[in-house]
Amino acid sequence: MEIKSYNVKTIASGIIPFGFLVIMILYLVGPSSNLLEFGVSLPEITIEKVEFVNSEIHVTVRNTGPIPVKIAMADVNDRIQPAAIEPDKSLERFETALVRIPFSWNKSEPYTIGITLDDGVRFDKFIEAATPAIKSDYQLAGFFAIIGTYVGVIPVMIGLLWLPFIKRIGKNKYNFFLALTVGLLIFLGIDAMLEGFEVSKENLSTNFNGGLLIITIALLSFLGLYYSAEKLTSRTGLTASSKPFAIGLMIAIGIGLHNLGEGLAIGAAIGLGQVALSTFLIVGFALHNTTEGIAIASPLAKTKSPVSKIILLGLIAGAPTILGTWIGGFFYSPYTAIVFLSIGAGAIFQVALVILKWIYQSEQKLVQTSIVSGIGAGMLIMYLTSILV
Amino acid sequence: MLSAIIGVSTIIVFSAFSEAQLEQKSFVTHSGQVIQTSGDVLDPLYAASTVEFDPMDYLREFNYGRISQLPDGTTLREFTIIAEDDKIQEISPGVFYNVWTFNGTVPGPTIRAIEGDLVRIHFINNGSKSHTMHFHGIHPAVMDGVFETVGPDGGRFTYEFEAGPVGVHPYHCHVMPLEEHIVHGLYGVYIVDPKEGRPPADEMIMVLNGFDTDFDTENNFYAANTIPFYYQHHPIQIKTNELIRIYVVNMVEFDPINNFHLHGNLYNYYPTGTSIVPSTYTDMITLSQTERGIMEFQYKYPGKYLFHAHKVEFSEKGWVGIFLVDNPDQKSQTGIDYGN
Repeated sequence: MEIKSYNVKTIASGIIPFGFLVIMILYLVGPSSNLLEFGVSLPEITIEKVEFVNSEIHVTVRNTGPIPVKIAMADVNDRIQPAAIEPDKSLERFETALVRIPFSWNKSEPYTIGITLDDGVRFDKFIEAATPAIKSDYQLAGFFAIIGTYVGVIPVMIGLLWLPFIKRIGKNKYNFFLALTVGLLIFLGIDAMLEGFEVSKENLSTNFNGGLLIITIALLSFLGLYYSAEKLTSRTGLTASSKPFAIGLMIAIGIGLHNLGEGLAIGAAIGLGQVALSTFLIVGFALHNTTEGIAIASPLAKTKSPVSKIILLGLIAGAPTILGTWIGGFFYSPYTAIVFLSIGAGAIFQVALVILKWIYQSEQKLVQTSIVSGIGAGMLIMYLTSILV
Repeated sequence: MLSAIIGVSTIIVFSAFSEAQLEQKSFVTHSGQVIQTSGDVLDPLYAASTVEFDPMDYLREFNYGRISQLPDGTTLREFTIIAEDDKIQEISPGVFYNVWTFNGTVPGPTIRAIEGDLVRIHFINNGSKSHTMHFHGIHPAVMDGVFETVGPDGGRFTYEFEAGPVGVHPYHCHVMPLEEHIVHGLYGVYIVDPKEGRPPADEMIMVLNGFDTDFDTENNFYAANTIPFYYQHHPIQIKTNELIRIYVVNMVEFDPINNFHLHGNLYNYYPTGTSIVPSTYTDMITLSQTERGIMEFQYKYPGKYLFHAHKVEFSEKGWVGIFLVDNPDQKSQTGIDYGN
């Protein structure tokens, strides 16, 4: 009986503050309240996507303001055009609609798409070059698969070919390569976050707090992976030889998530017509991603891992690029892009930390020429190869 | 029984189908394509306009005032003009804007007098800001509507001057910030006819104006007589071989120039309307702020003729219209079919 009353008291003391919170909010925003009625609520919309389809321009708009809006008019290059809006022109908060503007656009010419609200305010988005929107067909899926293979799978596999070389070198040089991996990963993590910020800035309303969203997801991904990796390694009671493989696997997963984001970016860029995907760009990505193979190879170097397992790690790291190009090319949305990039960033930082811990366990200190120079060299290599992209 | 079920189900299916048909809306593109949509149409171009201000009424509405004779025989024309600044008007289908008005409309009423008449304007300011009426023309300094601001909420002033010179002139509010008072719509046309009159004609007023609905000092809409694209989907009907006289006044702000191009014809142009001799015979005039004049022409052939700004940006934002020229002697031949 006593225990029961204790529980009731605990629950009540937990709920009462919530009750007061609810009362306060009702008081502030309730129907009879005019306490907060100062200032002017300005309507706002965000043009999230512009697609150039057969003699029509499709514009996805979202109400990102504090009040419902009505869309009144569409224009192309600041010239009024008749258009349709589906499902209808009234948008509640965060609701989206598709504006169809019949327009015989010219390939690779720049266009500014404007949407005017019922209060006469115009919002616009600039498209560098009109490119036909991608239709989901097998041929294109195959094309994306080939690009993904060249950019993701093959370079990672080539990077793994350094494994025998890393096996033969001395301890200091080996530590250098491990540190090099850390440098590469830190760079990739920062790169993914910056990419996320850019996507957020270009496509998302400030309402969504894109920057904070990226940091939150990256931190959650970091914590989640760190926690589950610790649980995994402690429970299985790993042998000396299986721990490097577990780390290799973690690196592969982290890089795989990163490559998914990279594939997303490539697919979306082709899909949105923001870049013409040149051979040069593919070469750049390929060179850049070869270093990822080294990152996986380094922790495996002092153990005997069967070739099949190493190839599996390569696939885990590289193949998501293909998946990324499909998602990015066929179903691009800035939200999925940001979520994938942030998860990838968190995963990469987690792997970098695991490797640093691993080095520390064997060396008992991190400030060594081989380690510091390795991290520095890793970041520099990434920077230099990233210029090619 | 079975046939009854089939019959009923057919009716249900059919009515569901026709309902779905009804939900589809369609519109016509620039190039004449008909587009179907399950949503709403965003179309200021071809949809029938439901806006409050009717440019077709304004086009041929001249106000001669309340007429009386002074002891010396001079004609006195009295007008009452009320300024307001709280009206929200649909200036293009679906777009709402706070217009400031003389007698409730943009442009204000067209004031017309004969040279030498005494014009007396009872001005009442029912707005929330100070306003005045400043006429272009010849008058004493105190009647200029610049320094004698008329206060809000019922302020009054009586403008009185002798009508002149002959021509077409704008009037507008002249309270600072001037641009703000003009672009919100406080302007109108003042016509002074010569004593001997002008030859009979189908007379019209066209105020070329624009609206900056997002306040970025660039116009979002342009028009002849306020409503974008109005005369394009409501063509102005005229007759072959009839003299057409247009009093055209450019009130567009922000853009340094405007112009007026007529299709399938040329016109005699009288700058400011002050001379009875045309200065040029052309199909294209260029007008700066408050520059105005009189155009005279007649159509030889029936049919549809565009008139628009040849600064095409303006015409693609609404300053475009159509003359539908009908031949009264050939009733069978309608203007619409001609030449297609």
